[in-house]
Amino acid sequence: MPNRMKLTVSHAPFWHDGSSVNTKHYNIIAATMIAVIAGLMQFGIPALAVLALSVGSAMAWELAMNLAMRRPVTIGDGNAALIGLLFAMLMPAVVPWWLVVTGTLIAVVIGKQIYGGIGGNPFNPVVVAYAILLVSWPLYLNFNAALVNYTFDFNAAYPLMLYKSMGPGALESFSTTDLLLGRQTGGIGTTFGLGLIIGGIYLIARGLIRWEIPAAFLVSMFVTALCFSIYDPEVYAGPGFHILTGYTLIGAFFLAPEDSSSPVNFVPMLIYGALGGFLTVLIRNLGAHVDGVIYAILIMNLVHPIIQKIRPKAMGRIMHHA
Amino acid sequence: MIKRSFFGIAAPRLTYDNIEDVRSEPVSVEPKQRVTLFIDAAFKNAGDALIKKGDSVAAGQRLQLLEDEPAGYTVSPVSGKISEISPFIGMMEKQRTAVVIDIEKEGGEAADNGFREVSQSPTLEGVARFLDVLPGKPDLARFTDPHRPVKTIVILGADRDLMSVSSQYVIKTGVASIKSGIDILRKLTGVQNVVLTVAQNQVQAAGSAAAGVRSVDNVYPSANPEMILRHQLHEQIEQGGIALLTAEAVAAMGEAFNSGTMPLEKVITAVKKDGTRKIVTAPIGTQVSDILEAVGEKVQAGDRLIAGGPMTGAALYSLEQPVEQDTDTVIVQGKDIIVEGTDTPCTNCGECVRICPVNIPVNELVRYMDAGEYEQAAENASLFSCIECGLCAYVCESRIPIFQFIRLAKHAVNRMNAAEEANA
Repeated sequence: MPNRMKLTVSHAPFWHDGSSVNTKHYNIIAATMIAVIAGLMQFGIPALAVLALSVGSAMAWELAMNLAMRRPVTIGDGNAALIGLLFAMLMPAVVPWWLVVTGTLIAVVIGKQIYGGIGGNPFNPVVVAYAILLVSWPLYLNFNAALVNYTFDFNAAYPLMLYKSMGPGALESFSTTDLLLGRQTGGIGTTFGLGLIIGGIYLIARGLIRWEIPAAFLVSMFVTALCFSIYDPEVYAGPGFHILTGYTLIGAFFLAPEDSSSPVNFVPMLIYGALGGFLTVLIRNLGAHVDGVIYAILIMNLVHPIIQKIRPKAMGRIMHHA
Repeated sequence: MIKRSFFGIAAPRLTYDNIEDVRSEPVSVEPKQRVTLFIDAAFKNAGDALIKKGDSVAAGQRLQLLEDEPAGYTVSPVSGKISEISPFIGMMEKQRTAVVIDIEKEGGEAADNGFREVSQSPTLEGVARFLDVLPGKPDLARFTDPHRPVKTIVILGADRDLMSVSSQYVIKTGVASIKSGIDILRKLTGVQNVVLTVAQNQVQAAGSAAAGVRSVDNVYPSANPEMILRHQLHEQIEQGGIALLTAEAVAAMGEAFNSGTMPLEKVITAVKKDGTRKIVTAPIGTQVSDILEAVGEKVQAGDRLIAGGPMTGAALYSLEQPVEQDTDTVIVQGKDIIVEGTDTPCTNCGECVRICPVNIPVNELVRYMDAGEYEQAAENASLFSCIECGLCAYVCESRIPIFQFIRLAKHAVNRMNAAEEANA
């Protein structure tokens, strides 16, 4: 038929709610900004260098893998940038450049791309990278050693390290308000607890992360730490300290709810979050490691496919049996 | 198009439309040059066909395609000449035949197709020879299935998809016809138990239809027949034997028996690019271009033309395609509002799982289907529980065509099963 008009032909549904993976990632990046800027103000230019290198190298690895595997170029979807950003937020402000580049290589290539890219990763890429680095070069990730040249107007000892070596009695110099407002040492983007909480609430309100996971994580952490501290307050710190130090808040709001490595049904999400919080306190109070968040999330990523099996039964069709 | 709200913590709610919001007067459309009718039978060899190109057709004439397939027929709403008969592949490889009739205004004497005689002493078999092609597409074969005797007739009077108000229009204007349709159905089938389901705002209007009236919630997909059965009709399901008919079909049956001729006018909600709607009545087979002209809408290259609702309809590739018995809605979407797909894989965000009205683990289902494991999908991920509402694809962040994927998977499994049965 001559000069037939070309119409757009596609499959149903013809409506879409307009959400996309790209907007989601850019929104999560935006949600981290309060904590990131607070970190930059605290740690200065070295922290900015780590951030820039981390985001840049993560995107470069993503592009390199896209080209090497002859897949569509996906750096535009914001996922690689987000991985780089979250990774940098966990790092101390002073860290060798090659450690950052190696870390993002592990995160993007081993953590994500070898499983087929976004959506295929069984573990949170950032958590995998950090865990491998922590085993390989623990000294560079020791906050007390890395931040030795900084002078702060507050106690410069890394609170969790202090807790591990000296017990809760040594923590009197940290008030809850100080911890919440970032008057503590730690990763670039992990010290300003209030900023992370605001970012997390923003993401929950927008429906960009599943509220059940951070809620269950934090509640379970609170309850577990409370039980320990009631059992022996001389040896175990209270729940407020656990929640406001280390990687707890970034873990609860930004690492644990990563889509691909966490469950989606209601009950499994609660179990996933609750076990994560429980394990964190267990590792901190009884384990050998200073901070338990990374390993707790890694272990929960591992069991997520099993707890994901708990799900409501699909309703059967009726007309076939009628 | 309803977008995700800024605060997205709760799953979006899409609600059905209310006919009171459509204020414009109904428009009656006459086909201009030709109509296209579909026959549900495969057209293989022109020599076997009972009808051929060049045959003269009178309004109301029954056109059967093949001698040995009495169910493969249609009834012409116009008089004219057959200008083309050709095979047509429908959704999911459905084999059909398209018959194009060029309208000739002269010599339009009403045909005596035997329906008047049937309508005077009706039997189920006799009626099924004509009424399968009424607007609303009644499935009369369901009543003659000896294995599943019908105990309850459920009439669907609420619009199944969004944007449409066609079914509400039928209830609003045709309760008397529905009542006589129900009387005839009771007489023909012997089934006394009839339930009429309507939108909430029309419970009163439907009250005089001499059937048990149930109201349907206005959140999509409550008016999906599966959802209606599940939430409203527990006792009836326990008794077994449910036949579903659309209100439009029942009203058309009532009219057919009252007048002795077959009504072939279809009620359509036409939705223009700016979202305004008009109710249109047009003979089945009328080309979409005629309808758009009547409502004053111009289509440009790149626009999308949809027969059926925004969630479950089908895109048309040509303005010459006709409205069919079950085309309740015709939608024009401007090029600028079409949301394009992406090639991002599933990220397991879980939006689909949370919105699915029947609790299908859509995230797992998508993974099976992606790998082509359709049988596994049916076994482990409840593929056949799907009621085909399209909500999963509506909320998908990766914009995966999940709905189409599911239809394909079901089709593939059904085809495999059919092949196995044939070889057994």
